[in-house]
Amino acid sequence: MFRFSKRFRLDKLFKNGAICKSGLMALILHDGTSGHGVASRYLSHEPLSYNEDSYTKCIPPLFHPLPGLKLPICLPDSAELNPTKVTTLPNGLRVASEDSLGPAACVGIYVDSGSIYETEESTGVTHLLERLAFKSTKHRSHLQIVHEVESIGGNVGASASREQMGYSYDTLKAYLPAVVELLIDCVRNPVFLDSEVQEQVNRTKWEIGDITKDPQQFLLDSLHLAGYSGALGKPLMAPESALERINGSKIRKFYQENYTADHMVLAAFGVDHEDLLAIAEPLLYDLERGIAMEVPKSTYTGGDFRHKICSEKTHVALAFEVPGGWRHEKDATALTVLQTLMGGGGSFSAGGPGKGMHSRLYLRVLNKYQEVQSFLAFSSIYNDTGLFGVHSITGSDFVSKAVDVAVNELHAIATPGQVTELELHRAKNATRLAILLNLESRAIVAEDIGRQVLTYGCRKPVDYFLRCLDELTLDDLTILAQKMLSSPLTMASWGDVDHVPSYASVAQRFQASI
Amino acid sequence: MAIRKLLALSRRPLLLSGRSASTAAALASSDLAAPSPARPPVMHYDRLAEAVQSKIRRLDDPDPRFLRYASPHPALADHTSILAAPQTRVTTLPNGLRIATESTLASRTATVGVWIDAGSRFETDETNGTAHFLEHMIFKGTESRTVRQLEEEIENMGGHLNAYTSREQTTYYAKVLDKDVPKALEILADILQNSCFDEKRIERERDVILREMEEVEGQTEEVIFDHLHATAFQYTPLGRTILGPAQNIKTITKEHLKNYISTHYTAPRMVISAAGAVKHEDIVEQVKKVFTKLSNDPTTASELVAKEPAIFTGSEVRIIDDDIPLAQFAVAFSGASWTDPDSIALMVMQSMLGSWNKNAGGGKHMGSELSQRIAINEIAESMMAFNTNYKDTGLFGVYAVAKPDCLDDLAYAIMYEISKLSYRVSEADVTRARNQLKSSLQLHIDGTSPVAEDIGRQMLTYRRRVPVAELFARIDAVDASSVKRVANRFIFDQDVAIAAMGPIQSLPDYNWFRRRTYLLRY
Repeated sequence: MFRFSKRFRLDKLFKNGAICKSGLMALILHDGTSGHGVASRYLSHEPLSYNEDSYTKCIPPLFHPLPGLKLPICLPDSAELNPTKVTTLPNGLRVASEDSLGPAACVGIYVDSGSIYETEESTGVTHLLERLAFKSTKHRSHLQIVHEVESIGGNVGASASREQMGYSYDTLKAYLPAVVELLIDCVRNPVFLDSEVQEQVNRTKWEIGDITKDPQQFLLDSLHLAGYSGALGKPLMAPESALERINGSKIRKFYQENYTADHMVLAAFGVDHEDLLAIAEPLLYDLERGIAMEVPKSTYTGGDFRHKICSEKTHVALAFEVPGGWRHEKDATALTVLQTLMGGGGSFSAGGPGKGMHSRLYLRVLNKYQEVQSFLAFSSIYNDTGLFGVHSITGSDFVSKAVDVAVNELHAIATPGQVTELELHRAKNATRLAILLNLESRAIVAEDIGRQVLTYGCRKPVDYFLRCLDELTLDDLTILAQKMLSSPLTMASWGDVDHVPSYASVAQRFQASI
Repeated sequence: MAIRKLLALSRRPLLLSGRSASTAAALASSDLAAPSPARPPVMHYDRLAEAVQSKIRRLDDPDPRFLRYASPHPALADHTSILAAPQTRVTTLPNGLRIATESTLASRTATVGVWIDAGSRFETDETNGTAHFLEHMIFKGTESRTVRQLEEEIENMGGHLNAYTSREQTTYYAKVLDKDVPKALEILADILQNSCFDEKRIERERDVILREMEEVEGQTEEVIFDHLHATAFQYTPLGRTILGPAQNIKTITKEHLKNYISTHYTAPRMVISAAGAVKHEDIVEQVKKVFTKLSNDPTTASELVAKEPAIFTGSEVRIIDDDIPLAQFAVAFSGASWTDPDSIALMVMQSMLGSWNKNAGGGKHMGSELSQRIAINEIAESMMAFNTNYKDTGLFGVYAVAKPDCLDDLAYAIMYEISKLSYRVSEADVTRARNQLKSSLQLHIDGTSPVAEDIGRQMLTYRRRVPVAELFARIDAVDASSVKRVANRFIFDQDVAIAAMGPIQSLPDYNWFRRRTYLLRY
């Protein structure tokens, strides 16, 4: 008890920095023990001893620079943007990278694999593959992988979509070799241990059981289920029945069929191309080329999906097909502008001007109807097709009115003369800034390189898209909107669906006018 | 040490290459002895054994190519090549206004903003909430622009204008295309100097803020930290919330807002920070032209802080609510101020305690021992160590969310791991934490807005921009012994502040926590 109370006081004294030494001595002498001996014994035994004086002398408060530190020369302000370099290895694997001056780099592997490649057998595997990313490999246990990532403080992530898988690793440049090695090992040599598969299956089940948390995601999945027949009509979220059947060997089979050299791109931002090749090529050159297979086809059919659940809110989404998809860059750009132009969002959101409060859906819908909780334009674009539509959240008594409003809004953008030049100008500028801001982020650039090489076979410079953006006219938007509205309607709803107008009555309103 | 053993085990085939080679040879020879067709496994047991064998074989043939660079053991890396950064240029105008920029001319966008040394701690009990109210009202029109004009001007550029208020800082910034920088700066100057605060608008905004308050009250993490500040800094300015009490929101007047601007939005307490496609000289010239009406009252924020310092009081607040499923609590010690040299060590310690949640990929394998304890024993839904700095003090601690039946185990794990920092700290853990801290500080700076934010915040807190090289050198100066020293200063036998909410009947009492800030060893 005695010692404890004394430590308490000592500690307080130490807080006062420079005067502590004399204070400490005085205190101990005052206690009547043999001064120096006690002090040194005390200090040498305890972590307190850390020579406080010399420490504060060499580490001053942050107001002042560290003495004796040599600072590196500043970088020039005007660094050139580096071009993207692409190398195709003999086995068909592509390595694409862009260099930059910053302190960090992002490396990713992007694979032409997703739920569209799933068969009856392998339904739900894509979802599981996403969750099994960065788990045990032939050379590393999961424990070792976690420790390797933590020991350099990087960020790893994986994302699955219907057509592409992405694995990425964000890091400081000094760790590049280790990062590339770990990333490639995790994508090339996963072993899918039974225990790990089982654990992730259980978690996925638990997650799916809780769809009320994210009805928006659920609704988007349902739109695909209802709107497409064929590849895109397969669920991205693994259905419960499929999860029962999934096991390690099924995942391995799907993995071996799809993760082949010609389906993969190693993409990096902030890396010298030659350096990347020197590290990555020996690890990738012997990856096997897959047997040539056709990309599974999907046909847009339109349809209706309803999920009845007891909830205060009812979600309804109306969607149409986007002809062409990413491969038709002009339409894809026009669609992005159209989405910004319609805009919309939650009825209550914080933040200053510039978040789209003057977009059409805000001005014409959210500011007018208090009952609408959220109303926004969305799109989901694939290589050759896509969906575009309007999503609304309202109380169940207002649903039919909300659908009515959504139909009118979609009609309006397809009617010449309804959209003004000013709105177009605004949407173009917002899209341009959004594109440029996104491309300032490492992770997004690396992803953009990877996905573009998968989709187009090369990376188109951002200026190309900006030019497409500049050339857009009101007519382009109207024509695109008309093309979309001429495709069959897809509808999905969640909540108190009995109040949602019938599919036929909504679809008829679109047919009647065109 | 145990981790080393585990990791070594997982690499068994490599390390014992001699033995595994011989077993491989033995396997091969037995294969040869029984020529194909290999005899089919007859018994159920054989089939099982075969299945296991085939699984093991997948792991048994490591390829040395994949094990050349990466190591699970943290080591210090040489970052010299990335320490150079574009220059931060600083100009101080005669009225005390500082302008700091970092140019990356290759970029085609820019972030420009005003960082102000003012926030809710400089209010009084009667005016608490004014700083935040002002943040809302500032976008509601000036003498020369109506709200609508202001919003449309920004939206037509495609830009974003945003603001946030914290306890000690207020920020207004715009993200725009390179050609719109002058206009953005002009708009910022206009709203900061000429806002007209229309009475009708003020009335309308009260409802918006009250609604925002409801939203914030739904975010339990925010609520816990508000309560934590309220109890830890009771009867001092840091204890007040940013939004202020509902009563104040209903009564704040135009006078309060005007008053707040004229006393706190003064030139010496402001920094104009810009990053991206900007030229320092251009910005300085324009700032001189447009920021002409600022008060140059020389009172600094530090003087105000010295007048009304924040005093940490060991105390707790518990809000029992058995109707919600999860309990949450935060336990905190008095931490370091922004400029305290030990604030860096506290950041390393925060990184050592780490953060964890159920869905994190690391699971039970995280390096932080606190995370391991929590993950293995399944005693929490999520956990996060925090380290907040203010001008004269700070808060260091752990926030956790858990089911009500594991609160005592969780509290024990947290207090054990925190107090352990004063006694047993391994170099490997410190090195890992340092690496993580360096990476997270640098990886966070991604795009022009984080750069502008970094400049603005550092100019206000450190009065200079700390070069990356210096920051890294300061982090490298932290080793196991300095972690112990700093833990002795801030944690060992110090008072704690606790805020807890939800079904917390089984959370140990205050004295239990206080007792576990030290160990008794004889």
